Amino acid sequence: MAQFVCNLVEKAPVLVNAAVTYSKLRLAMFWYYAKVELVPPAPAEIPTAIQSLKKIINSAKTSSFKQLTVKEALLNGLVATEVWMWFYVGEIIGKRGIIGYDV
Amino acid sequence: MAPPVQVSPLIKLGRYSALFLGMAYGAKRYSYLTPRAEEERRLTAEAKKPDEQKRIERELAEAQEDTILK
Repeated sequence: MAQFVCNLVEKAPVLVNAAVTYSKLRLAMFWYYAKVELVPPAPAEIPTAIQSLKKIINSAKTSSFKQLTVKEALLNGLVATEVWMWFYVGEIIGKRGIIGYDV
Repeated sequence: MAPPVQVSPLIKLGRYSALFLGMAYGAKRYSYLTPRAEEERRLTAEAKKPDEQKRIERELAEAQEDTILK
């Protein structure tokens, strides 16, 4: 038991250091990607977004969405699913609980 | 390391608006459900009270019967 505690006290700083370095690196990488990919849209980008939306509505009206390949359609479906999942994440934040409403 | 992808503004707009809509929906539904849950808890407590009384009476009766001086 005493041996165990001695060992632990010796090795703990090393382990903690390794964990900290590892997580710092991961955090830096996350930040590097998040700064470009996860930022909210700037007000200047909103007209572009509305244009893209109009294009999509147009392709639905003129049936030109049938010209998409299956692969493209699947990718679009995946992206749409991801956007919809953000709605559920927002709901989790709004109801302040992960599973179910804590009434 | 791959360079970060430039995300289309429509997707960004969609994501963040879905996030805020979700937060609003969750908060609204929570505030709608809390008073209803309170009401239901109150009702079940009311319904249980007469049963509690009967149970207590029954147990008292049994305890009083249970003597050796029958």
